Amino acid sequence: MSTAVQHQAMPPLRTPRQLSPRIQWLRDYYFQGADRKWNNQFLAWSTGTPWDVQFNEMTFYIVPETYALLQTLRGSFRQAARDIALPDDFWTWSLPERRAWFVKEVMVHHVPREILPGDLLAGARFNLQTSLCLTEAEQKSFDTALLGRNGARARMKWFHDHGYGNAGATSGHLVPDHAMALKNGWRGIHADLSDRYDKLSQTDQEGPRGAQLRAMMTAATMPRELAAAYSTLCRRLANEASDQERRQELRRMATHLEHVPWEPPRTFWEAVQALWLNHMLIMSDENYPGPGVSFGRIDQYLLPYWETSLKEGMDREFGKEILKCFWVHCNTVYDAMIRNGRQGITAGFGQLITLSGLGPDGRDMTNDLTYAILEVIDDMSPILEPKPNVRLHRNSPTALMDKVVDMISDSQGAPFLLNFDERSMAGMMREAERAGCREWIRPDNVHDYAPVGCLENTMVGNDRSGTVDCNLNLLKAVELALTGGRDLLPFHDPMTGKTEPVTQAGPSTGDAAAFARWEQFWLAYSEQTAYIIRKCVDTYECSESARAVYFPTPYLSCLVRGCAEKGRDVTRGGAELNFTTLEAVTFATTVDSLLAIKYLVFDCQKCSMAELMAALRANWSGFEVLQAMARNKAPKYGRDDDEADAMARQVMDLWTDLTWQHRTTSTHRQFRPGMLSWNYWAGDGFVMAASADGRPRGQFLSNAICPSNGADIKGPTANANSVGKVLGGRAAEGTADWDDTFNCLPNGASHTITFHPAIIRDPAHQNKFKAFLKGYAENGGTCLQVNMLDPDMLRDAQQHPENYPHLLVRITGYNTYFTAIGKELQNEVIERVSHQGY
Amino acid sequence: MHATENDLPADDAKDSLATLFEIQRLSTEDGPGIRTTVFFKGCSLACAWCHNPESISARPQLHWIASRCIGCGTCGTVCPEDALKRTAEGVAIDRAHCTTCGACAAECPSTAMEIIGTHWHLDALVHEVLKDQAYFASSGGGVTAGGGEPGLQASFLSAFLQALKQANIHTAVDTCGCYPAQTLDAFLPFTDLVLYDIKEIDPERHRTFTGRGNAQILDNLRTIGARMVSGAAPQELWIRTPVIPQATATEANIAGIGQWIAAHLKGTVARWELCAFNNLCRDKYLRLDRDWSYNSQPLLPLDTLEQLADVARRSGVDPAIVHWSGPTRKPPAPSDEKQERSTAATTA
Ligand code: SF4
Ligand code: SF4
Repeated sequence: MSTAVQHQAMPPLRTPRQLSPRIQWLRDYYFQGADRKWNNQFLAWSTGTPWDVQFNEMTFYIVPETYALLQTLRGSFRQAARDIALPDDFWTWSLPERRAWFVKEVMVHHVPREILPGDLLAGARFNLQTSLCLTEAEQKSFDTALLGRNGARARMKWFHDHGYGNAGATSGHLVPDHAMALKNGWRGIHADLSDRYDKLSQTDQEGPRGAQLRAMMTAATMPRELAAAYSTLCRRLANEASDQERRQELRRMATHLEHVPWEPPRTFWEAVQALWLNHMLIMSDENYPGPGVSFGRIDQYLLPYWETSLKEGMDREFGKEILKCFWVHCNTVYDAMIRNGRQGITAGFGQLITLSGLGPDGRDMTNDLTYAILEVIDDMSPILEPKPNVRLHRNSPTALMDKVVDMISDSQGAPFLLNFDERSMAGMMREAERAGCREWIRPDNVHDYAPVGCLENTMVGNDRSGTVDCNLNLLKAVELALTGGRDLLPFHDPMTGKTEPVTQAGPSTGDAAAFARWEQFWLAYSEQTAYIIRKCVDTYECSESARAVYFPTPYLSCLVRGCAEKGRDVTRGGAELNFTTLEAVTFATTVDSLLAIKYLVFDCQKCSMAELMAALRANWSGFEVLQAMARNKAPKYGRDDDEADAMARQVMDLWTDLTWQHRTTSTHRQFRPGMLSWNYWAGDGFVMAASADGRPRGQFLSNAICPSNGADIKGPTANANSVGKVLGGRAAEGTADWDDTFNCLPNGASHTITFHPAIIRDPAHQNKFKAFLKGYAENGGTCLQVNMLDPDMLRDAQQHPENYPHLLVRITGYNTYFTAIGKELQNEVIERVSHQGY
Repeated sequence: MHATENDLPADDAKDSLATLFEIQRLSTEDGPGIRTTVFFKGCSLACAWCHNPESISARPQLHWIASRCIGCGTCGTVCPEDALKRTAEGVAIDRAHCTTCGACAAECPSTAMEIIGTHWHLDALVHEVLKDQAYFASSGGGVTAGGGEPGLQASFLSAFLQALKQANIHTAVDTCGCYPAQTLDAFLPFTDLVLYDIKEIDPERHRTFTGRGNAQILDNLRTIGARMVSGAAPQELWIRTPVIPQATATEANIAGIGQWIAAHLKGTVARWELCAFNNLCRDKYLRLDRDWSYNSQPLLPLDTLEQLADVARRSGVDPAIVHWSGPTRKPPAPSDEKQERSTAATTA
């Protein structure tokens, strides 16, 4: 007898709890959104020159929804920008020095400063659009590089319009060296810079290295001066405060701000204050708030301060209160374009924190602060930022596993991503090997990796990372292999109403209809894959090279190891680890399409290649039987079916190997493979033609490393096993990348599994779920998003959005409010709701 | 009753081939930990309430799933017996003429026409279930042989369990116990846990509900208990009782089963599970063109089940072994669409 899965009553929608009046107020105030009197929307600042531009559009090249807005944004920031009086010799300085001075001037002397009632941390407004500080000649050549006929914008748009994906030099997406900045303070950083500067030869001092170090020294004094200004504000507010307790708090804050972040913090409160300022100024420096500017192993580097303060009598609850203020601050990134819609341009900024995980000698690093932070997440949830990743491994302590599963059971799915150490570290070791950087990534430090953004693994403090800069639809190569290098359908521009003639874009790999054997098709596919990767690299180079020349970020460079040593900006390849990442999108759709072609045309001869191509051109209309066969009869990745997974592995090996062959020309950044895929799988489903797996145009593509939607009919364990297999699986101890584990995607692989809530319905089942996670550590991927959803609840939310304003759904670390997404995406979420639901 | 479906083929030369109707991974309801449950096709009972009507016949069966059908007509074209007719509702199977040759299912592009019942070679099946070994290890789980009645394919079952024991996998057999005593010899030595159904204690009522009396079932169970007392396999014994309204869900039955357990299985039963009736299988009956007398039977409410559990605890068994699962917690008001969906869930 099998016990069928019963519909379980769901716990009521999660609401935050145990919040003090202080935090409750701050949280409620934040959620008033556009109605708030105070906000952190972009403020624009100009050098006052007629050619001045603030908006760095390259950062948005990876956000296709904004392409139509780029010109408008550029114009509107320019119009809104306030002029800043410049020093007389401003235009004689190098560009990095101009930028460093300008950002500091704006932050310290012009941006209004406020402290919200009850807030324990200073540092509120930071969303800036500051002048790019270019001379007329520089701005002109930058504009040519961007806007010329063959400029970065046009090429990026062509790349996207034709279904390849998107690419652009994006800000953020790294883990700065926060541990060092706390330990040395900015005084230490500044002293180090000035020491290095003094040691330069006179020629070097007069050259770009000297200029860069001078710019960084200017940037290094920004936190001190800003903190001093906030300190003054705290004192004023303290004098005005009627409440005795609040007055005390503000006085203490004023004292802290006289000390940190210039000097190393003495207490936990000071450490969190310093960390916040150090972090928020990165977003000011980059003219863009928080995309993947991540905190790294916060429960490790804040631990000494936590322990000291506890020992000195800090109430543990008060320590959590400080963290909760920090949580609220992180969410104000979303104010950037608060007037342009509910959450501005995108709902996912991904300021990631990393908790727990392995340390040296295979030790587990879970500590009291890990638990305190988990409690904060629990209390504050649901809330979007910062996004937590909990690192698990084979020997994660039971208490941690219990807490993790409790929190999953209690929320609408996990309020964090789970990162799996063995697989992730294997990827780091693979990258050390492939990129020849074994000096920086070693068996004795690889445990110090941390994810950025959502789940993109990088080393900490010295890795420019560049995750999400290049997002390539692998599926395009299948299309080009069918047509011999031409788009299947001509591109029709909805803006101009024009239809472009189809051109020979990729290599001529021959008429697929004439192929007699599967191997011929595979060969064509391989050639086209090499082509689309090259195309992606070339497209990226346009903005990467422009950024390297025109958009230095001297403040951020202070926080990335290697930049001071080399006297080179982080945008110019200053980091010790100089990676950029190619993220593959549409993996499962690609694999399933290849499997379908092999099955339908070659193995079972259900149709000819010509017929299949006609079906795809017709978007399957008139070919419904063939489409049904492609969907239902052809094998699929994600079922733990060895044959299908072998194809998946072949696809994986091919594109990752090809990716390692590339570096950026201008900055020598090594491309490495990852699979994060953001939400492109949704939008590009409308851009890309129908695919051989039975998907019509307009239906979503597959997401990251997940099986195609609905394909994983064998349940979560089969799904996880397939993922682990394509990453390389495991081998005998000591023979793989890391110990017994392989991983060909160092940057990580985003994997979402949606479970039926029955799996956690009582303590006995929760234990089974815990065991599933341990099994995942053996067999699965690098990162798992656990969803626990009830389809009825979601349908109800679709009908009555007013009742579910806070219902969070998560798609591979892409957290969003369910009611804030479109109907199609809602339907997609509903469809994924249950593993048993097919 | 469908006694004719119980005419089972002799279980002889086929000792390396089994007929299964499902393999369920990440199974959390059929024994300890995370398990893979292998469902053998064919049952020696035919319970009126059966939640898996496709498990009863030992032969492969054809069914048609409306929601998958695209109405292409391929199935009708390929049927050599002309046994498929297009109707207003979709495709009707003329079961008098269908030989279950499988041609239609093979050609149906959308898997709407499907044969339930697949033959598995021993090696392939062992390979398949070992795929989740990591999860068995992390959870203290393993493999459960259920059905149907796995004991009806005893020599395959025996070989399968032996292979699993060789791979150090925890094994469970979920059985109704209705077979000759020799069957026990085939699988007990390789079984760590037996999940044994006692549905109804009264022999006549048992016959009415299931088509067979319960004398042999209780005899076999006594044998298992005796073996355990003597230190032989299995190591663990769980009793399961389906709690079915209008049938087994009476206080007299639950009390009677409890007294029997207390009298005959002293100390060997680790768990006694009362499993509530559910109706998620409703559409399965429709697809097999079978009536189901439980079609509009309301689900068992929580308080009724709790009451019966209380009776169980006071029946003479160790109260700590009594568990229950699956009652409804909401007043049932399922829409049609919802039925289809939740039923699909059980066939996945
Ligand atoms: S199984 Fe064979 S006989 Fe039965 S309906 Fe299908 S094709 Fe006809
Ligand atoms: S072949 Fe399948 S899809 Fe076509 S009509 Fe028959 S059952 Fe329906």
